[in-house]
Amino acid sequence: MSSPIRILTAVPICDGHDSAINTINLEFIRHGIEVIYLGYHRSVSDIVRAAIQEDVRAIGISSYNGGHIEFFAEVVNLLRKKGADDIKVFGGGGGTITHDDAAIMKGKGVEEVFFAGTSLEEMVKFVHQRYGKLRGKRPRPKSGDQELARGLSAIEDAYAKRKRSTLKGRIRNPQSAIRTSRVIGFTGPGGAGKTTLIDELVLRFLNRNSKGRIAILSHDPSVVGEGALLGDRATMINSQDDRVFMRSMATRGQAGGLSPATRDCLTRLAQSNFDYVIIETVGTGQEAMPFQKNGIVDLTVLVMNPDYGSRLQLQKIVMLDLADIVVVNKSDLQRARTAHTEIEQRLEQNRRSQRLIDTVAKRHRDPGVDKLFGLITRKEL
Amino acid sequence: MSKLGRVVESVENYNKFVLDQVKRARTDEKFGRELLGRWIDIKAKIPTTRTPTGLPLPRLALPEIDEPGEIARYLYGEGLPGEFPYLNAAYREMYLESVREIESFEKTNGRTRPEPARRGEGAPDKKIPQAEEPTRLFSGLMLAEDTNERFHYLTRHQRTHRLSTAFDGPTLYGIDSDADGVFGKIGEGGVAIDTVEDMVRLYDGFDLGSPNFSASMTISGPAPIIMAMYIAAAKRRFGPKVVPKLRGTIQADIFKEVQAQNETIFPIEPSLRFLTDMVEFTTREMPRWYPISISGYHIGEAGSTPVQQAAYTLSNGFAYVEMFGGRGIPVDQFGPRLSFFLDCGLDAEYIALARVSRRIWAIGMRDVFGAGPKAQLYKLHTQTSGRSLIAAEFKNNLTRTAAELVLAYMNATNSCHSNSADEPFTTPTEEWIRLAAHGQAILLEESGIFKHTMNMLSGSPGMKAVERSVEAAILDEFREIERLGGVLSAVEERYQRSQIQNAAHRYEQQIYDGIRPIVGLNRYRDGDEEIPEVKLVRTPRSKQQLQVDRLAKFKKKNAEKAKRALDKLAEVADGGENVFPTLLDAAEVCSLGQITGRLQEVVGRFRPMV
Repeated sequence: MSSPIRILTAVPICDGHDSAINTINLEFIRHGIEVIYLGYHRSVSDIVRAAIQEDVRAIGISSYNGGHIEFFAEVVNLLRKKGADDIKVFGGGGGTITHDDAAIMKGKGVEEVFFAGTSLEEMVKFVHQRYGKLRGKRPRPKSGDQELARGLSAIEDAYAKRKRSTLKGRIRNPQSAIRTSRVIGFTGPGGAGKTTLIDELVLRFLNRNSKGRIAILSHDPSVVGEGALLGDRATMINSQDDRVFMRSMATRGQAGGLSPATRDCLTRLAQSNFDYVIIETVGTGQEAMPFQKNGIVDLTVLVMNPDYGSRLQLQKIVMLDLADIVVVNKSDLQRARTAHTEIEQRLEQNRRSQRLIDTVAKRHRDPGVDKLFGLITRKEL
Repeated sequence: MSKLGRVVESVENYNKFVLDQVKRARTDEKFGRELLGRWIDIKAKIPTTRTPTGLPLPRLALPEIDEPGEIARYLYGEGLPGEFPYLNAAYREMYLESVREIESFEKTNGRTRPEPARRGEGAPDKKIPQAEEPTRLFSGLMLAEDTNERFHYLTRHQRTHRLSTAFDGPTLYGIDSDADGVFGKIGEGGVAIDTVEDMVRLYDGFDLGSPNFSASMTISGPAPIIMAMYIAAAKRRFGPKVVPKLRGTIQADIFKEVQAQNETIFPIEPSLRFLTDMVEFTTREMPRWYPISISGYHIGEAGSTPVQQAAYTLSNGFAYVEMFGGRGIPVDQFGPRLSFFLDCGLDAEYIALARVSRRIWAIGMRDVFGAGPKAQLYKLHTQTSGRSLIAAEFKNNLTRTAAELVLAYMNATNSCHSNSADEPFTTPTEEWIRLAAHGQAILLEESGIFKHTMNMLSGSPGMKAVERSVEAAILDEFREIERLGGVLSAVEERYQRSQIQNAAHRYEQQIYDGIRPIVGLNRYRDGDEEIPEVKLVRTPRSKQQLQVDRLAKFKKKNAEKAKRALDKLAEVADGGENVFPTLLDAAEVCSLGQITGRLQEVVGRFRPMV
């Protein structure tokens, strides 16, 4: 079995028309396609960077606010310039893209333009037919990020074919491998605000460190039929930066919040000269224990929502025993104080030096997030 | 219980009150007689008019009832036009032409002649409180001078100049025309505005302080900045004394942006703070300005059901009222300066969607927020549905828009925009704009549907059934929002967004499955794909470059002043006081993008919701 098709979808800069793309995304994932959704109001450079890092087969752009001839052409050109022209571009814009426009756009290297009235079925068929085949021989990577991205694809593909043994350079003992990055794991229930919190930490990293780089390995669940909507990038406004390498992975049928290929991908990232590698799990349940003791993760952060239910529920959350730092996010909610007290008591039972921090990640310049950033970047912890 | 929960209660209580009055009218003989007397009085005072064919008609149509209980149900449950709870209309008379006197008609011996001379002379007519044409056409293209030319073209035959401005993408997102990657978007879909100088060009030749002029600006995320630029432009042309005379509307609806339209530039809370800052200023200094247009249009266009559109618009409105009130602005001061904007499509709900909205608003404002009569009015601008228009066999769009116009006027909208048939492909071209505008004139002036009689099409059993059903569904939506902790919490939990997205998905699926017939698409489709020949409006590269160059010149000229103004702005924004006065100063010397960027440094950027 081969890997699902990975494509990136986005809406151009200065355009908030996301109704069509939302519908199309859902249709794609129902038909086994993994969609990395970049969101609306996205610049050419954000789109191309993301496409290369995610190593997608194609970029689908939904444009309703005009300027499509220029925008699509700029995406194609920048891909070419970056040596990534094996990533194809298609798109549509209802009636705003005329047949004449489409002809010009195709002349400039756009593979397909869908007009108003195209059924979702036709689009799905197009993606399957055009991008379902194995890729031919690819040109030599032009950048380190491109090479890394392809390496991660190779790992994912090998797992999809269940041929782990054929994997070149597979690391059998991650701890012994040459490590260049500090790896921080984020986990916690869905909706606790992990993604926002990570994005805010990235912002602080970029502001305070003028040269360093950071990598993010983010996970979203695969749905029945093996597609997945990988949407973290859409809300991570600060992480769309040349100094951030982000990769979105679908869990591809594995329970526990990670993908079968996660460990190898993470190892590869940890060896790739990033100052920090952040790994974010899918929203997890009480029993989840995504990061093993003695694994590759140096520091684990559990992000909680104050609304976890009764105090009894806390006893069942395994990660509360294992996490180095527990964050109560959304601490502006009414229940946050109670949550803090209850979690504090729960942590005291463990008799470890676990830290408990309250944050409001959605708030700009939140002091709680500052504190968390300080803790994470202090090596001795 | 949040205020929205209390609104639900107030509507339920009011409905109970109406039933009590009905019962009382039937059991309390004295009360019944009083009502009957009032009813007879009201009917006796209705003037009669004549149609051009000589048919006498009452200026106001009332139901044929003479039983006190039914009279009570009508007077309390619906209210006469212009009377609480304003189901029928916000004003006593709308769209009506002047009364054709019966005598003068008889003198012409039965020959029908409308009195063109008298009307043409503009004889003062005290019987028509709303002297303005309800037509307000949305427009914006290329650079400020191009849109200005279009504005002059659109208003050349109108007594009053009501301009409605569409902005291009970069402006809507608060960024400059020289920003990375926006070339190609400059002047597309609306006018490019970067500086106060563009704003001066945009309304050149119009008398901004005149009582016959009003400007509407469709922009929300950067609305306070654009508002400041408009004021700065007006001051440049007419001096500081013009400020209190400025008339117009700025959209400034943050909630619907977050729920549907995605043009938010700051996080929700600072966005709401800057909005309130602006409302505080305009309420005090610009009493004729509408500082917010609470908009369901974009919610509808993003795919919501009609009920969701009405419910979210109303609940957003009540949330703003609570917020402005919380700032200490008296409800009777800002309440009359709120206006609403709805979409009108072809679904059955539109038969009464605005009527029901008007009633719920009035009851909530009076009984929950203690508003006086002027602040109870749900003043409505309607636009026909853009989503209902399709590219295939696009001339059918004229018929769609015409049907939607009938529905909009049946709901007694205070003003209306009719879409151009070519809208699925492009910024409307003059030929189709003209047809769209004429559609309204044909309906209101040529046809006798609205000009002779108020409530001509109101009150059918079908309409009543829709009203009951729509009201119940809106209240259900309110209850759900209330359960989530009110509008702001629901927004933060993405409740409205997901509801809208689900509805959009269902709509597309219905078209695909053929359950929702669309002529020319899934019904009666011509075998050959028709390639429409429309003249496209696109901004030439040279014009885009001109805008970029002008901006560079402006920035260079004002570099030092801009720095000082931005520093001051950042300082005020970082503190808690009202930023609007500082924004006014900054707008004189800074570009839109400079101001947005600096404010984002202080309060952060909006994090999109997906």
